[in-house]
Amino acid sequence: MSPLSPDAVHTVIDDLGALLLFTMILIVAAGQIYRAIYSVAAQSLLISIAAAVLATSTGNPDLWVIAGITLAVKAILLPWVLHRVVQRMNVRREVEPVIPIAATLALAVAIVVVSFQLSASLGPVRQAITGNALPVGIALTLTGVLVMATRKTALTQMVGLFASENGIFFTAMAVTQGMPLIIEIGVILDVILAALVMTIMVLRVRSTVDADIADLDRLRG
Amino acid sequence: MAACYGAGALLSLLLARWSGRLALGLSHLAAAAGAAAGLALSLGLLLGEPGRTLIQPLPNIFPFAKLSLSIDGLSAYFLLVVSVVAVAAAIYGPAYLRAHSPDAGSPRQAAQGFALNVFLGCMAFLCCAGDALTFLFCWEGMTLASYVLVVSDDRDGENARAGLLYMVMAHGGTALLLVAFLALTERAGAFDFAALRAAATGLNGPTRTALFFLALGGFATKAGVVPLHVWLPRAHPAAPSHVSALMSGVMLKVAIYGLLRFTFDLLAPVAGPLPFSWGWTVLFVGTTSAVLGVLYALQQHDLKRLLAFHSVENIGIILIGVGLAMILWRQSTGGALATVALTAALLHTVNHAAFKGLLFLGAGSVLSRTHLRNIEELGGLARRMPWTAGLFLLGAIAISALPPLNGFVSEWLTFQALLGGATRFHGPAGLVIVFSAAMLALTGGLAAACFAKAFGVTFLGRPRTSQAEHATEAPPSMIAGMLWLGALCVALGVAPGYAMRLLDAPTAALLHGPGASAVVTARGPLVLSTALTPSGANGTAISMTMVAALLIALSAMALVLRRGVRRAPPRVAPTWTCGMTPTARFDYTATAFAKPLRLVFAALYHPRREVTRETAGTPYVVRRIHYAGEIVDLAETHIYHRVEREISALSQLIRARSTGRIYGYIGFVLAALFVALLLLGVAY
Repeated sequence: MSPLSPDAVHTVIDDLGALLLFTMILIVAAGQIYRAIYSVAAQSLLISIAAAVLATSTGNPDLWVIAGITLAVKAILLPWVLHRVVQRMNVRREVEPVIPIAATLALAVAIVVVSFQLSASLGPVRQAITGNALPVGIALTLTGVLVMATRKTALTQMVGLFASENGIFFTAMAVTQGMPLIIEIGVILDVILAALVMTIMVLRVRSTVDADIADLDRLRG
Repeated sequence: MAACYGAGALLSLLLARWSGRLALGLSHLAAAAGAAAGLALSLGLLLGEPGRTLIQPLPNIFPFAKLSLSIDGLSAYFLLVVSVVAVAAAIYGPAYLRAHSPDAGSPRQAAQGFALNVFLGCMAFLCCAGDALTFLFCWEGMTLASYVLVVSDDRDGENARAGLLYMVMAHGGTALLLVAFLALTERAGAFDFAALRAAATGLNGPTRTALFFLALGGFATKAGVVPLHVWLPRAHPAAPSHVSALMSGVMLKVAIYGLLRFTFDLLAPVAGPLPFSWGWTVLFVGTTSAVLGVLYALQQHDLKRLLAFHSVENIGIILIGVGLAMILWRQSTGGALATVALTAALLHTVNHAAFKGLLFLGAGSVLSRTHLRNIEELGGLARRMPWTAGLFLLGAIAISALPPLNGFVSEWLTFQALLGGATRFHGPAGLVIVFSAAMLALTGGLAAACFAKAFGVTFLGRPRTSQAEHATEAPPSMIAGMLWLGALCVALGVAPGYAMRLLDAPTAALLHGPGASAVVTARGPLVLSTALTPSGANGTAISMTMVAALLIALSAMALVLRRGVRRAPPRVAPTWTCGMTPTARFDYTATAFAKPLRLVFAALYHPRREVTRETAGTPYVVRRIHYAGEIVDLAETHIYHRVEREISALSQLIRARSTGRIYGYIGFVLAALFVALLLLGVAY
């Protein structure tokens, strides 16, 4: 019935997981904002491919919708918005890390190792899950947050947020063969809203007081 | 009904760009149609087939819960209350909004039309909700829509602050409700009320009581019970007047519905009386609200604010009935008395909706014509706005619980229930109930004094400002809205026996006992009686119709007698004022009228008074006297200000520790998550 055998799906998802981890490392290692944006766009593209693969194998029409939305919103719309914002700001193209990028990479490696360790201890739960998707999902989520925590500028923090959302998506897809459609749509709306609000904040703060979000710590009384 | 409200909301959105005037008209028309549909549905259910429960499944938008509407007697009764006032408000609204804020742009008018429809729709569906999820959704929708309406009226800081306070308090209440409902749904594993009922049977005593107090806190915040009432006198006057009528007349009642549904239907133990603490707590807060509400109302000189405080009072009276019903229900000695108490509470619900709606609409007419809310600046409006004055007087008589209008009927029933209850309990319990009855009597008297002030200062005497002098009568559609509620006040007052049939289904559904009409109108529909004494003999009985007829006959007789004895033609002359020309400043002011009571209750009011004289050189020539006085709200100063101080002290403390760096906070969260994963994740 299904055009793909379970084993083939397994392999494809595992491979995609490896690619996802690779894009994550690209995001962490990116020294320029543009690179980080392109990497997160590529990552979203991979997520939507994974959704499409799962959709063909399970025959669940909701997954097709999710794949389409992910492609349209996360792989095209949001990176484009970020790109525009960087162009509008026209300065400070580097990511301004809090700690050196090499140190961040080391932390990311630690996170990935711990994620695999953790999901290995989940034993019986893991049997029901498609391959190595669970540790990859956890690693993506945590590394996204790590990116948010180690960057000063709001734009790179947004990139981290998207990566983290991608991780949550991937975990959900792999674990439950897709969450209910309404929840997925809700999560996507969340991301869009967050992006909108942060974009407006960044542009407004810059145009009125000529400061970045990171400088807001001067506001404390 | 849903279609009408939905259409109203959509239409006002669609027409927002094009024509605000049209959007306003059409959205109110749709609201009126929706309310009429609700009226027909509830009347059909209450009169046609009492005892039947209508169940209508809703489309499944959530995979984890089945949504449904279920309309039993109680739901239908509150749907009736909602619809009755909604009809009046929808008729009244467009003309009011046009007259009150003629310069409002189309987006604002469309937003008001949209929010009104959402507000009404949510209240109607809340009463019909068949599961906790629908209930909570409608509850939230109701709060948000009314918030939009509160801040929509005038764009000044006062409204925005009132709206913010309302929002904070309402969400505090909603949080309590969420906890109460989710605790039940979590046990039940489903959201529909039947499953919750089944889950509640397995609860132990303390848990049940804890859930009850959570729900009581949530519903009492919405109902504006002292000391959770502080938002009410600010938010209600800020809304457009027909929305004030809805908020005071209906939204508070929806909270009462929630309390009844949650307590009697969902949470009550399978057999035996309700836990001791429930009823007595409700009785106590009801009595406190009634007395304090009317006392604070007395000292208000803002017409709408005064009415808002009276809502606090009337909710108190309703809660006295509810509390008594909780105490007496399934008591071996209680008998039919619980039914009487609940009947009194439910009847006062619809009565208060009718007369408070009427009064707010009347106040709105005055406001839209004079743009003044302070009654000290009004006066002499009875000649200029005869219809409004007459209808306001009708509402004032009703709310003061004077016969032959509806307020008297339900307060009489509450008294009967209280006095009957006092005979059932010996010792301190009986005394508490008698004390509550005494407080209710005090409340009635003070309410009458308050409305003598409000009506007298606003409508009688001479106009004190030029706006009041040049006021004209409100347009016919506004009068029509008020007439509908006024007619209801008279009908419910003169022939309350017929209304008892409407109460059959809700009382029987809640108490699983005899219906209201079997107890209260056992001696025919024209006589209200309470079969209270244990020997079975009838207790007190009263026929409102006879009372009304008697009153009419007496006044006719007085008129005839006066005609008969009049010999000399009347001579019209100005009032004698020791030879001075009378001016408007000679009239009684509201502050002066309320002064005796301010002195008597000084311990509660903590009045502050400041008089400064401007003299011309010598102390004997006084040019000007400034008088400033204010009273404080005890709950506000003693509870809220203290909490406010604590919170700001705490936030100062936190501010000293915080770095203000966003990435720092995120890193902190990440580290905490990581540690938690390492510690707890591996253990399994």
